[in-house]
Amino acid sequence: MAPVGGCIFHDCLICLWLCALASISGDTGVLHVLETEADLDWILSTGPHPPYMVVMEAAFFTRSTMVKMKNSSRVAGVAVIKSNTGPTEGFSPHTSCPNQNTGVYTEHYGPELANCNNTVWNPLGNGLSYEDFAFPIFSLKDDNQTQVIRKCYEDHNMRMNGSAPQYPLCAMQLFSHMHAVTDTVTCMRRTDLQNSFSINPEKLCDPLSDFNVWTSIRPLNNSIKGHKENESVVIAAARLDGRSFFWDIAPSAEGTVSSIVTLLAAAQALYPVALEAPPQRNIFFTFFQGEAFDYIGSSRMVYDMENSKFVIDLDNVHSLLEIGQIGLRNGQSLWMHSDPVSRKNTTVNKQVANLVANIKSVASSLNLSLNEPSATQALPPSSFQRFLRVRPVPGLVLADHQASFTNRYYESLYDTATYLNVTYPSDLSPEQQLEYETEAAKSLTQVATLVARSIYKQAGGEDRFLNNITADTKTVAKLLYGFLIMSNNSWFSSLLPPEALGRGSILGLVITHIINTLTSVTRFVQFILANMTGTVTKLNQSQCQNPKDVPGESKDLYSYSWVSGPVSVNGTTDPYCVRSSVHLSKALSPAFELTDYGSREYSTWTESRWKTIRARIFLVASPQLEMMTLGVGVAVLLVSLVVTYFISSKAELLFSATREPPNTTY
Amino acid sequence: MNLERIPNEEKLSLCRKYYLGGFAFLPFLWLVNVVWFFKEAFVKPAYTEQPQIKTYVKRSALGLLLWVAVLTTWISIFQHFRAQWGEVADYISFTIPLGTP
Repeated sequence: MAPVGGCIFHDCLICLWLCALASISGDTGVLHVLETEADLDWILSTGPHPPYMVVMEAAFFTRSTMVKMKNSSRVAGVAVIKSNTGPTEGFSPHTSCPNQNTGVYTEHYGPELANCNNTVWNPLGNGLSYEDFAFPIFSLKDDNQTQVIRKCYEDHNMRMNGSAPQYPLCAMQLFSHMHAVTDTVTCMRRTDLQNSFSINPEKLCDPLSDFNVWTSIRPLNNSIKGHKENESVVIAAARLDGRSFFWDIAPSAEGTVSSIVTLLAAAQALYPVALEAPPQRNIFFTFFQGEAFDYIGSSRMVYDMENSKFVIDLDNVHSLLEIGQIGLRNGQSLWMHSDPVSRKNTTVNKQVANLVANIKSVASSLNLSLNEPSATQALPPSSFQRFLRVRPVPGLVLADHQASFTNRYYESLYDTATYLNVTYPSDLSPEQQLEYETEAAKSLTQVATLVARSIYKQAGGEDRFLNNITADTKTVAKLLYGFLIMSNNSWFSSLLPPEALGRGSILGLVITHIINTLTSVTRFVQFILANMTGTVTKLNQSQCQNPKDVPGESKDLYSYSWVSGPVSVNGTTDPYCVRSSVHLSKALSPAFELTDYGSREYSTWTESRWKTIRARIFLVASPQLEMMTLGVGVAVLLVSLVVTYFISSKAELLFSATREPPNTTY
Repeated sequence: MNLERIPNEEKLSLCRKYYLGGFAFLPFLWLVNVVWFFKEAFVKPAYTEQPQIKTYVKRSALGLLLWVAVLTTWISIFQHFRAQWGEVADYISFTIPLGTP
């Protein structure tokens, strides 16, 4: 079962918050399975036993139903039974204009493009994730536990011939109490007060925070922050996170995994050639975390660059290529989106046109068709927008959609492997599935080759080496399997540290907030990138953790990780030390560094704390029976008081000493 | 303590102590005074110290009523408006309930 929330808070003009404002002692309601419209009427108006706990079939999980539930006082909670495929018309609980307040288009910069005036990027977006619900909402997998719930409903709560069911009825109680309320400013203020004045401080919420992953072809000295002389860098970027309406579920196949896998494969293809024939400029691969919540990762990196807290600064950035959603190309052309406002400047326009020309020349040799959308169209929501807010960096966003997203399930639980057509024949074992090359894998490999060659060309690499850069379809297939189907596979396990073995797999590409667990997607990308772009060294474990004293190794330039290596049949590992230039950079919104919790510039999203999340079902008796039991108990108490009083006042009479005093014989 | 067995002068001094103690922002002392000495002041047959005990009890009752009125008003206002006062309310609160505005 997965609940919605932890309540996530934000500060915005309308102060929305998404939350399940559940009660601390759980919300109880009589079970009712919502399968037909008649059931909906029963729950909302005609049923005689409110409040109801609605067990909802996936087909009813739409905005209109949820809003009706929200406005009704007869609903105590909702449990949605997940289905594997979404509704054919599409479903996106995200807003129709993602990140509209923290992008680059404002009333001062491209006002005709702000707030999606020009193009509505996510037209199917119904904003459900941003509504405030006063009851818990859980999601259930359609398995044995759900069958138990259904059976309980069928045994006790079904209507017989149109008449209402009789008590005792089956009821469900959901516990999903959230500590924080109202908005980020309030809950951060209360947390700070608790920390200063309370003996037993109770934290209410935490800012959303994780790490960005970055690496460079030519290692940079990470101990010295700020501008690097004579470094001109081409950045290749993708996002790392996704979300859905429910907590910890974010398959994000088309939304995020497609771009991660492409960029990882491009990095792997590019590295050997770039080492042999170094291009003129340095190349930077970066993965931003937290982009769904007002660009947490990219805004932090740009902020650090502006304040000389990052390894390079904005003067070092030559151009940027971002990989957007590219999984649903279906053999058609890719689109290169650019920002029309910055292109009004002739220098910037020339540089962007140069980048476009480079990519197009590479694409022609690969039989891929690439186009630019109309010259007045805005840039889609992307991390690149945060760079543009500060400086008109020339850049492009590569995507499979010309205007609105092709993705019908943007940031929802239905954006799964099946939607991306990553399906395997049923007779394959997990190991065989890992290596099986799906059509989606082949398509993404082509794009990865395009990206790798374009970046190399853009960085000033010579054309004669371009044909040596080819992405590996098997790698792409393995990456897709690992990120979409099962991350607990032999290849991923061999790339992670030994202590991560046997742990759970990635639940979704969610941004973690407190603990940076070893099995989060950030860590997976970090170690995969280290394996692809790093070198195996002969250091032992203690040297790997502390390479200061080893000659020839530099902790400033490189990072060293101790990974487990291939796991043999009897479970033993052969760990080794990998040296790479993959680093993590903190992805915490600058608003929390500046303690400006009501910031309009930066993301202010926080996640509420909670204690327990659980559910249980049981039978309930009618309220009349309960009252009668209570009444009888109170009556017994009063009667016993009266009787005791009378007995004690007439004690001498009742317990008179009828026995003679003991005869003493003298 | 059983008031039956105490001489009257001691009863008077006890009543006075409780009366004076209540001025130190301790209305419960006045409540105790009223409840405990009520019988002594109004029900028992007259004795020399009784008029003074009666005044003390009456004044304690008055003080108690005043405190009850003030506290009830303040508590009602605070409980009703705490959510709306936002920042100010958070700073004057000792414990803020979790999960409610």
